[in-house]
Amino acid sequence: MTRTIVRYGAFARAAAAQARREPGELYGRVVFFAVILGVFSSLWRAIAEAGMPIAADPRELVWYLAATEWILLSAPPLHVELQEAIRAGDIACRLARPVSFVGAAFAEGLGLLAVRAPVLGATAFACAWAFTARVPPPGAFLRVVPFGLAAAAVITALYLGIGLLAFWLQDVAPVFWVWQKLLFVLGGLMLPLQVYPAFIRRAAAFTPFPTVLADPASFMLRAGGTDAATLAVTLALWGAATGAGVQWLFRRAAAALTVNGG
Amino acid sequence: MRHRFGPDARLAGFTRALMATNLKAAIMLRGAFALQVLFMALNNATFFVFWWALMQRVPSLRGWQLGDIEVLFGVVAAGFGLAVTLAGGVWELGRIIDGGELDTLLVQPPPVLLHALGLRLKASGFGDVLSGLAFIALSNRVGWRAAPLLVLAVAASAVTFVACGIVFSSLAFWLGRIDTAARQLWELVVTFALYPEPLFGGAMRLVLFTVLPAGFVGYLPARVVQTRSLEAALLLAAAAAGYLAIAVGVFNRGLRRYASGSRFGTFG
Repeated sequence: MTRTIVRYGAFARAAAAQARREPGELYGRVVFFAVILGVFSSLWRAIAEAGMPIAADPRELVWYLAATEWILLSAPPLHVELQEAIRAGDIACRLARPVSFVGAAFAEGLGLLAVRAPVLGATAFACAWAFTARVPPPGAFLRVVPFGLAAAAVITALYLGIGLLAFWLQDVAPVFWVWQKLLFVLGGLMLPLQVYPAFIRRAAAFTPFPTVLADPASFMLRAGGTDAATLAVTLALWGAATGAGVQWLFRRAAAALTVNGG
Repeated sequence: MRHRFGPDARLAGFTRALMATNLKAAIMLRGAFALQVLFMALNNATFFVFWWALMQRVPSLRGWQLGDIEVLFGVVAAGFGLAVTLAGGVWELGRIIDGGELDTLLVQPPPVLLHALGLRLKASGFGDVLSGLAFIALSNRVGWRAAPLLVLAVAASAVTFVACGIVFSSLAFWLGRIDTAARQLWELVVTFALYPEPLFGGAMRLVLFTVLPAGFVGYLPARVVQTRSLEAALLLAAAAAGYLAIAVGVFNRGLRRYASGSRFGTFG
């Protein structure tokens, strides 16, 4: 067990070191994050002028968005690199390693997550504070941070699953776009799910999206926060289902793979 | 070495041939092409659910209604789609410059920038154009009489998008590997352009009509289509031409600093 942790820990450390050496993309995300929070704080002010559609303070909704965006942007987009490796044939070298391919890729994802989450978390806090001039109670952060990190890890595994589809599709971008937009809507990225019509809320309940975005972020709202124990169980269940799904996809892909040349 | 777009018949022929080749290459894999078009249209529709749900609860947002947002969405989607369909190379221009891949283009007769822009076609752009036109049609704000202005608005939006991409990517001549940052800057323009204009005021508004010209890819084209104002149309056309001229100027200036990548390669 210890050897396994050390082995996969090395993958995570190598990926984290690589991410620290090339921070350009992360800085871009920081700017994007600040812009999105700025746009939405303006949007929520405008909505407050027109009459709020839900029982929440506009400033609370900016903190809610800061939490959902933090979770989403912290998860590294593994599918992009994995797709390129599959298209270029580099995947053959990785398959030869004496470790689980899926395990190594996920460990690398967690290494990237460990670099991105603190930087983006600080950005979320600073920007949301600047735009709202208030800070939620410390209890909210104590629940949002651990659940948010766990949710970002599940999203990372989902990205890995999307990347594996490149074995069949070559270009997984279309699948990613639709998946991402479903996450936006059914996960309540920009609007809490209460704002959406009942049929969307019912559909969302059958997907992992609310569990990985809206539910952890709902601790930022005074009304409608999810029960922490229930969230822990559902996150664990969706995490296990995602892990099993990714393993199954990889086994199917490896069985069908033909490596030419060397 | 100067490169300029001119009304030269041979240049027009080259441009047509480049587009036709890109189109043939994209359609060659019919399944992948159809999938990209369909999924991009679906992607845009899914994103719009946010506005649809919100505007069911708040019918007017500082004077903007759902129809206004549909027109804005439509113009931006169609303009962006047209840009990446006709000049998809702009998406990779930063990487091409930094990687020294302009070498192959520099030794060929056509203008380098035109050739680089026409190197790629993003099939998903067709999905953007189709969904953009669908949004505009569904908005019930634009009649047939506005069709010529709609063509102008979408074309101007596309030209401004391409110009932004050229400027952001050309920073690679001075700063090296900035392709990710250039794409992110480009995405920022798209992001700002998809939210109603009255949300932004003061200095932000100035930024959106200058450095990150979301105003010229979204707000002003949408206003031209809805109000059918000739003054606004002329201003839009002038702004698009101005941004393109600046972009070509920046690229040419950067090209003087370009150092060969000493690469052997072909494009096609």
